[in-house]
Amino acid sequence: MRKASPKKAPARAADPALQSLFDVHEATLPNGLQVRLLENHLAPVVSLYTFFKVGSRNERPGITGISHLFEHMMFNGAKKYGPKMFDKTLESSGGSSNAYTSHDMTVYYDDFASDALETVLDLESDRMRSLRISDAMLASEREVVKEERRVRTDNDIGGLMDEELGTLVYKAHAYRWPIIGWMADIDAITREDCQQYFRTYYAPNNAVLYIAGDIDPKKTLALVRKYYGDIPRGPVPAGVVNAEPPQRGERRSFVRHPAQSPAVMIGYQGPAARDEDTLALDVAQYVLTKGEGSRLTRSLVYDQKIVVSVGLDWAWRIDPGMVMFFLELKPDSDPQKAEAALYAELEKLARDGITERELQKALNNLRSDHLRELGTNNGRAHALGNYEALLGDWRHVLTLPSAYAAVTSDQVKAAAAKYLIPERRSVVTLLPAPTEA
Amino acid sequence: MASRKSRPQKSAAPRRAAKAPASARKKSASRKPASAPRASAASRALTFPTLHDSVTSSGLKVVAAERGPLPMVSMRLVLRAGSANDPAGKHGLADFTARLLRRGTRLMDARAIDEAVEFVGASLGVGVGEDNLSVAITTPAEHFAQMLGIIGQLVREPTFPESEVDDARERAMAQFANDLDEPSVIADRAMVRALWGDHPYGHDVGGSARTVRTFTRDDVVAYHRERIGPKVAQLVVVGAVDPKRVAEAAEEAFGGWTGGPEERRIIPPLKRVPQAGRVVLVDKPDQTQSQVRLGGPGFRLGHEDYFPCTAMNVALGGGFTSRLMSEVRVNRGLTYGIGSWFDAMSADGVYAVSTFTKTESTREIIDVSLGEISKMRDGGIKPGELRDAQAYMGGLYPLRTETNESIASSIADMRLNGLGDDWVLQFRDRLNAVTPKQVAAVARKYCFAEAPAVVVLGKADAVKKQLKGLGPITVVPASEYE
Repeated sequence: MRKASPKKAPARAADPALQSLFDVHEATLPNGLQVRLLENHLAPVVSLYTFFKVGSRNERPGITGISHLFEHMMFNGAKKYGPKMFDKTLESSGGSSNAYTSHDMTVYYDDFASDALETVLDLESDRMRSLRISDAMLASEREVVKEERRVRTDNDIGGLMDEELGTLVYKAHAYRWPIIGWMADIDAITREDCQQYFRTYYAPNNAVLYIAGDIDPKKTLALVRKYYGDIPRGPVPAGVVNAEPPQRGERRSFVRHPAQSPAVMIGYQGPAARDEDTLALDVAQYVLTKGEGSRLTRSLVYDQKIVVSVGLDWAWRIDPGMVMFFLELKPDSDPQKAEAALYAELEKLARDGITERELQKALNNLRSDHLRELGTNNGRAHALGNYEALLGDWRHVLTLPSAYAAVTSDQVKAAAAKYLIPERRSVVTLLPAPTEA
Repeated sequence: MASRKSRPQKSAAPRRAAKAPASARKKSASRKPASAPRASAASRALTFPTLHDSVTSSGLKVVAAERGPLPMVSMRLVLRAGSANDPAGKHGLADFTARLLRRGTRLMDARAIDEAVEFVGASLGVGVGEDNLSVAITTPAEHFAQMLGIIGQLVREPTFPESEVDDARERAMAQFANDLDEPSVIADRAMVRALWGDHPYGHDVGGSARTVRTFTRDDVVAYHRERIGPKVAQLVVVGAVDPKRVAEAAEEAFGGWTGGPEERRIIPPLKRVPQAGRVVLVDKPDQTQSQVRLGGPGFRLGHEDYFPCTAMNVALGGGFTSRLMSEVRVNRGLTYGIGSWFDAMSADGVYAVSTFTKTESTREIIDVSLGEISKMRDGGIKPGELRDAQAYMGGLYPLRTETNESIASSIADMRLNGLGDDWVLQFRDRLNAVTPKQVAAVARKYCFAEAPAVVVLGKADAVKKQLKGLGPITVVPASEYE
């Protein structure tokens, strides 16, 4: 085990309020499992996160959704703890768990009373070592996932539009299909597909473990070695090819569906998380939609009264991601007018940039949100994992505030002028259709 | 992101932020093991900050709790002015008024308020539930006094400009229309009406298109004048700030505050669940999935049945290993999410189940759920199952002491509902003291001893014939709940 070495830190200075909170111990086991430990005795609880470096970007047509279906299967029994035993053992020890799948990664967590630590390590290492996938469990879980798809996508207007937008923005990259997968693919995934997937992506060398809370780092690392040490290393998974061709003009699509009002979802091809433009786009996002006084909320909702709400989702991804806008409209609104009002604001941003006061306001809010994210053990462990997975180093958790402070208004203007332009745009319009009885 | 579990409690399953459901307006929020002691997961001590009380010269009660290490402060002014106080025919007025507080005061217009709060990286939220209306700010610690001053302005001197009232009404009308496209939101609304009927809790916090359409500036001004004042308020401040400074800043912000009622309005308990034993089928023909709600009577906040019911519900419909989750999702693959809970408010409460399934299995999911609930009613709980429930809830309870916001919310609950200042510290002991016998007694009482109200939202054509035998069926179009 070694303490976090300041030598490895990114060039930016660490935020003093954060430095004292993030005395991270890190280690790598001989089988390649990486471990980060963070002590905090404020409450007698611990959060453990396991990040696997696999998500829907690692899939192929025919088995789309397998990352997510597999995430469900990880709770359905291993060699020592059989079906239902994972949750039963964890909950009766004072813990709970959940997981999520994104385009880029699959993330599992447990929150638990600190004296359940060893039980949790036993449970987690058991399923990493020896997951058992039975036909019966797969058949039942497949139905659960189909219900999840029905509730999030098939019976949800935002979900339907989002799915359409993905296929419009991406032509070749795996970001094209929905994380939950196409319904027919969910039906087609086999037990063999799952086993192959487990061998390929769930080896210890493809995972990072984060434990934050009421722990003794030395003893905890010894326990991690005890429980995970004998899991064999796996082959290094093949990389993902980004074959996305350049976009050569605006793309449009329409969704006809029973609805009260039209709506518009717009995606711009953006940079990858590690690109230097990412932080400037974060600032742009805050200027445009953070708070009631943000540019788009003030202009489109309050001044022009042209939308009911406006949202902006700029989520970091490993490969070039998407800057997504959503315009919720009133019944009988003209979606084209709402679009035009949005584009006028984006053009203004690209032309005139932002004021020093807007920049300072964005920085203040980015810092507040960052601090709030770190208010719980769960938030801290997740932040370490998320920054490491997407930016390459957990130390960004310490340095992000100062990295943002170095962003200039010229950079924000340049990023808007580079990315938020018609040539990089895809537009999905919801057209209310009569209900088919 | 897609996720393994949903928690369909109260409002909706998690969904994209891009289209936030309108139900976001709903309210936010020893070791004396009874018989068989076990290595209790709930054995390590909790830390809870010391509470410092003061009262402003205007009579506002203030509680301050100093807490680090983050340089942030969370403050919350809670008023007994929730939607149960909405006048007849004006359902939604508390919520509508609360949203307008930040749209202009004597000293600042909406833009100036937004700028003052948001520039420093603070965030302002206004929330309304059945009992309470609250105004909350989380801020970097160095701006705490200024932010408290803004809360003071919002509740003392809002101007409710005519144009802001008109715009807010128009936005609300559009939102009501768009809500019709959110199946879980409409199902929840139908359930509130089925459970509470004409009771003051019997309408959605936000009201309905029919009532909100009639709101005028005079309505809003009157609601503010009659329901908002220091005698029915409690201020809670938690975070990196000295309690002495909190008392001083509270005096500064609220010292001359007058008006509002002398005391809170007493709300009667519910006589009977009006739709008990009946089925409300909300027709939404485009659905491929049915939203299902089941509910019956519960109890008020601070009731002696709270701990036995809490333990029972963990086993029945709370945790991921609960009987409902196990039978409905894990064994049968009928749903992605199912949960049950006791919703306790100051006057009374309900017990409810929420889930969803594909249209074809609507009846099956209802039957399996009712079967599990009646098993609990008839057979009670096994000692081991109770111990597991206690360990689960006791082990996770300390998570509620992790943030300034959650601590402030606990303090407000303790003070407003007379739960006692030791509520948080004693919680695990009281939970661990529950016996199987006590659970059996509450199971007989609350597990639908009388047939529950059933609400189904889905494709009525395909669903109606499945529902025969559950009670008289009323089919209503979704638009009924706009």
